[in-house]
Amino acid sequence: MMNRREVIKNVALMLGGAFSAPTLMAMDNWENATKPNGSVTAFSLSETQQKIVAEIAELIIPKTDTVGAKDVGVPAFIEMMLKDCYKTPEHQSFLEGLASMEKVKFLELNTDERRGVLKLLEQETKKMTGKTPPFWRLIKELTLLGYFTSEAGLKASFEYVQIPGKLELIKLKPNQKAYAY
Amino acid sequence: MNLNIKANKNNTFDAIVVGSGMSGGFAAKELTERGLKVLMIERGHEIKHIEGYDTAMKQPWEIEHRGRTTNLSAEERWANSRFWGLGSEEVVNHLTNDKENPYIEKRPFDWIRAYHTGGKSMHWGRQSYRWNKQDFEANAKEGIGIDWPIRYEDLEPWYTHVEKFVGVSGQKEGLEVLPDGHFLPAMPLFAPEAHFKNKMMERFNRPVTVGRVANLTQPQDIHTSLGRASCQYRSKCQRGCPYGAYYSSLSGAIPAAMRTNRLSVLHDSIVSEVIYDEQKKRATGVRIINQNTMQTEEFFAKIIFLNAGSINTAALMLNSKSNRFPNGFGNDSDQVGRNLMDHQLGSGATAMIDGFEDDYVYGLRPNAMYIPRFRNWGNDKQTAYLRGFGYQGGASREGWSRGVGADGFGADFKQGLTKPGAWTISIGGFGEILPDPNNRIYLDAEKKDKWGIPMIVTDAAFVENDWAMRKDIVASAVEMLETAGFKNVTPYDRPTHMGLGIHDMGTARMGRDPKTSVLNAFNQGRLCGESFEEERFIKLIATNGCYIDILLAIN
Repeated sequence: MMNRREVIKNVALMLGGAFSAPTLMAMDNWENATKPNGSVTAFSLSETQQKIVAEIAELIIPKTDTVGAKDVGVPAFIEMMLKDCYKTPEHQSFLEGLASMEKVKFLELNTDERRGVLKLLEQETKKMTGKTPPFWRLIKELTLLGYFTSEAGLKASFEYVQIPGKLELIKLKPNQKAYAY
Repeated sequence: MNLNIKANKNNTFDAIVVGSGMSGGFAAKELTERGLKVLMIERGHEIKHIEGYDTAMKQPWEIEHRGRTTNLSAEERWANSRFWGLGSEEVVNHLTNDKENPYIEKRPFDWIRAYHTGGKSMHWGRQSYRWNKQDFEANAKEGIGIDWPIRYEDLEPWYTHVEKFVGVSGQKEGLEVLPDGHFLPAMPLFAPEAHFKNKMMERFNRPVTVGRVANLTQPQDIHTSLGRASCQYRSKCQRGCPYGAYYSSLSGAIPAAMRTNRLSVLHDSIVSEVIYDEQKKRATGVRIINQNTMQTEEFFAKIIFLNAGSINTAALMLNSKSNRFPNGFGNDSDQVGRNLMDHQLGSGATAMIDGFEDDYVYGLRPNAMYIPRFRNWGNDKQTAYLRGFGYQGGASREGWSRGVGADGFGADFKQGLTKPGAWTISIGGFGEILPDPNNRIYLDAEKKDKWGIPMIVTDAAFVENDWAMRKDIVASAVEMLETAGFKNVTPYDRPTHMGLGIHDMGTARMGRDPKTSVLNAFNQGRLCGESFEEERFIKLIATNGCYIDILLAIN
């Protein structure tokens, strides 16, 4: 499924990231910034909630032959991002999601059962039409962001090129990893 | 080189340039290279080229919030963060704190500001196009606004002069609608873009070209002599380029002016007024307020260039009242602050592209493709609106973030995201806005900023012509992407205000008649019933084409 916001963002970056890209105003920020009362409340997680977040993040990006979400500090990253970059509606949505995880005693389930819960959650999330991103969407997005931009996660996943020095049209080799810059 | 200004008893220079951004930088360069002693006055803090780009070499994990806007940034930069990415910690410290520099929105205007050395030239999108002949003639032909007193031919040598110095990469196409310039080698179109280009020509006879961009693909002596080097294809331009590979005042004009030893730069100095001498019947200098110490001081010169951006330049003129100019300096026509324009943006379409699975790119291209205006051009006649729009956009392969909206999690999911995703494409329009005297800025009668300068009020909005064009921007984008054979074509059209194009212009229009214009054909301020003065202003725009003509602004 196309992540339209991402497409627009990619083009925005092509256009140099800052001014002049027509598509650039992608786009959530604009809406957030112009909301009259985007209230911000304090946000923090209890120890149990932190554990649930860590376990879900690790199920999304598990340790395999490469590092997993927990190894690179994704759980703490998620909490920091929610606190610093999200507002009350997202905080509530996230906490509600955690409450339902507590209700199904997520931490007491075995790995297969946990996976089952997340699959169900994923299907339920698709039916939601509200404006505020649901819990699954938030935790998945922040897990991927935290992992794939962490030093160990990025270097393990992609071919990291800090300074390309040239621009070249190339043919992809079999199994070639994506470049990250 | 900050001269000890106080030691200069007379505080007198040959010329004063207010503002250090795109046009101020160039004014200072041209004047100093012609032997004049110039004082450049910048209201913001000093940023030094290269060493001042504090985030330029940071790696992804060193950016704490990974490019997201924090709530704190959004609150402090309440206007700047309306534009995507400008609240990010990659750049946010280089953008103006709106909370400390507020303005009043009678009608909402997304005013994006960067008060520091080089201004927005440090952050611009670098797309650099010439206007075509018709852009200069359209007002006269259609009876819109007032006629430009200059034509393409008048500017042609200056376009070349600026392009050579700046370094613009692009492809010559021989199109009347998008005149060729003096180009460095073009960057390539990606495989799906080349396919798109062919289809558009085949089906619509519409040309598509790679963006003309002020990044050095092959630096010339004129660039390397200033320490500028070739683009490294990191596409992190917005953080400031440590290679000086894209053009900014910081990498180009200011160093060029500095090496003449005739430039002095004053930072943190807000010009509050142009001083008009009633006896001499001319502007003789400016008054500044130090933004930190609140100290005021006066500086004098025979020539004064106002390059403070469209809005601040107009505000400065309006605030410069005298017996001769009770309504603001040079404002006999009552046109100062009026005809505020921008380009509309934020509408277009995206699509998925099947195929091209083997095509990939090494490096990041700080550029995209450009589709020149095709509406109300040649045989095309639109009944719903005047003028036209161009598109910028391009194709890219999806990255890991495609996983956010996709089903799945776990080991295979993780592994899959390490490969390049499918090709996608997005194009978005830049639409021309017509001049309208009711779209304006003015000074609030009572409220003042913390320096005691009247606050700026924005009072502008899109009108019918703009909305009709916008509908077509979306519809035509969908039509073109579908015609190219792309899948899942999805229109987008975000609510925006004027200003978000960050192409604010107008406010001191150039014209033939002093009763209706602020500037003459030589960019000089004009006074009804009196001879032209020596003051020149750069914000001359009487009409705006469908792309920003930064080259024109420099001219």
